Amino acid sequence: MTNAIEVKNLSKYYGKFLAVDDIDFTVEKGEIFGFLGPNGAGKTTTQRMLTSLLTPSEGLIRILGYDLAHDAQPAKRQVGLVPEESNVYTELTAWDNLMFTGRLYRMSKSNRITRAEELLKIFGLWEKKDVKAENFSKGMKRRLSIAMAIIHKPALLFLDEPTPGLDAQSARAIQTIIRQLSAEGTTIFMTTHQIEEANQLCDRVAIINHGKIAAIDTPEKLKQTFQQVQSVEIAFMQSPEGLKEKLATLPEVSTVVKIGDKWRLYNDSPPALLPHLVEFAEKENLNILSLNTLAPSLEDVFLQITGQQVGTVKAVPTSQNKKAGMRRKGGKR
Amino acid sequence: MKNFPARILDELAQVWTVTLKDIKVYYLRPGMIMFGFMMPFFMFFSFSVRREMAAGEGLSRLLALTIFFTAAAAGPFIIPTERRMGTYDRLLAAPMSLITLLLGKISVGAFFAIIVSSIAAVFGIIFLDTNIAHPLLMIAGIIIGSFTFSTMGLIFGSIPTRNPGDVQMPSTLIRWVLLFISGVFVPLADMSTVARGFSYISPLTYAQDLMNHAVLGMGELNLWLDLGILFLSGLLFLLPSIKLHKRGRVLGY
Repeated sequence: MTNAIEVKNLSKYYGKFLAVDDIDFTVEKGEIFGFLGPNGAGKTTTQRMLTSLLTPSEGLIRILGYDLAHDAQPAKRQVGLVPEESNVYTELTAWDNLMFTGRLYRMSKSNRITRAEELLKIFGLWEKKDVKAENFSKGMKRRLSIAMAIIHKPALLFLDEPTPGLDAQSARAIQTIIRQLSAEGTTIFMTTHQIEEANQLCDRVAIINHGKIAAIDTPEKLKQTFQQVQSVEIAFMQSPEGLKEKLATLPEVSTVVKIGDKWRLYNDSPPALLPHLVEFAEKENLNILSLNTLAPSLEDVFLQITGQQVGTVKAVPTSQNKKAGMRRKGGKR
Repeated sequence: MKNFPARILDELAQVWTVTLKDIKVYYLRPGMIMFGFMMPFFMFFSFSVRREMAAGEGLSRLLALTIFFTAAAAGPFIIPTERRMGTYDRLLAAPMSLITLLLGKISVGAFFAIIVSSIAAVFGIIFLDTNIAHPLLMIAGIIIGSFTFSTMGLIFGSIPTRNPGDVQMPSTLIRWVLLFISGVFVPLADMSTVARGFSYISPLTYAQDLMNHAVLGMGELNLWLDLGILFLSGLLFLLPSIKLHKRGRVLGY
């Protein structure tokens, strides 16, 4: 099977600053591939190189089998791009924006019209087709931006942060569209900060940190790899002073985080922690309101890999934890 | 794989797509009206008021000024604006060559200059009762000059920046320098040898001389030299734009 994206030894320098450091990965056709990373990790730089907006310093990029350095045009014809900021022409109507994009991709007039009508109806913009985009809400501009990116039915769609800043309804609508496109066979490469969104949408995710790929795998496999970030969530009726520090002294607790009215205690083996917690509550005269064990979330994995603490109080930073955190480095390439 | 003529037609269609979109989006924007439409007329009236000048001479100057200022106004305004809005990425990511994109942007400025110059020409012919010595030469001069100066404006638009203000300043400064050393306000025949030497650096000198040939039927330089230098300047101006765009792609603009 030909890969939709193949990246080998890709690096990008801005002057002396190394933004992307010798990364390798592949994206299979039909996949939804999430590209996660903290701010400044190299996500957008990588995506701009993959869409030929930025010239790499070193390395090879193949898009749908075409070497981007030497044969960009055929690749560009089959690619759609939705950047972070909705780049619609605000002076044009929704209809004119779509007609212009259709012309750019050399679609026939009849195809343009049929497809634009279809997309405006799917995206709930048909009633506004003759309204200038400057009068659109952020969510409407986002939907129009996606419609423009897929008017030519691209085989590969790049999405840069598709939903941040949108209301829940618009975000849900865009996630549904992403799933539909994937079901129709479109390969999707999305960079995102929304880790839960990546967890729900992506077949595989890559986590980039300091310009390097720190892990690539399916969300579930990544979570399994990071079992040490399992946790117990407990809520007490009382909240005495110094409770956080006392909880941090419990056996095998690595980190304690306050989340709303609950406490989350990270440790390797939540079932082993439960009796200690009950004993602690009795000893401290605390009434337990709720008690749950939690498997690691993708966010926990992300924070662990990117070296960000999952909480504010870290009890005992064991060497075992550090090793586990690095285990996926390099991942599946 | 398409054959060569089909590919050329394909690229020309892309040029027209880019041009048509920019005409719709930018022609009525305040920046374009100010720098492209009003500026040449302001310049003309501020230097012509209370100076004795024949109608034909006035029209010849006005045409050279409108071609120069209007055509060169589009690039420095449109491209940085599109970079700031993120819409330029849409064009760079589209399946067309860089040259095609640049030709589209050049055509936007050139058509704008052709429209404004035509208005000036019609005004001169109807209201000032000016006789045009060589109407076809005037049309050819307006077209060639418009494309040349639009290509010049594109150099400034190609500077890697997302802020139109960063580009307007140097582009205005250089256009003014080229204007003052040219033979627009002081005819070549009246210039000192040194000033005349400097005036040959400015392509506007050749545009003015060409308009003198077309409107008045006489020029200081050879007509073919005017046409040739304007045409070659247009081609040469394209090179720094290509280089700056490639540089922009390395820097991430």
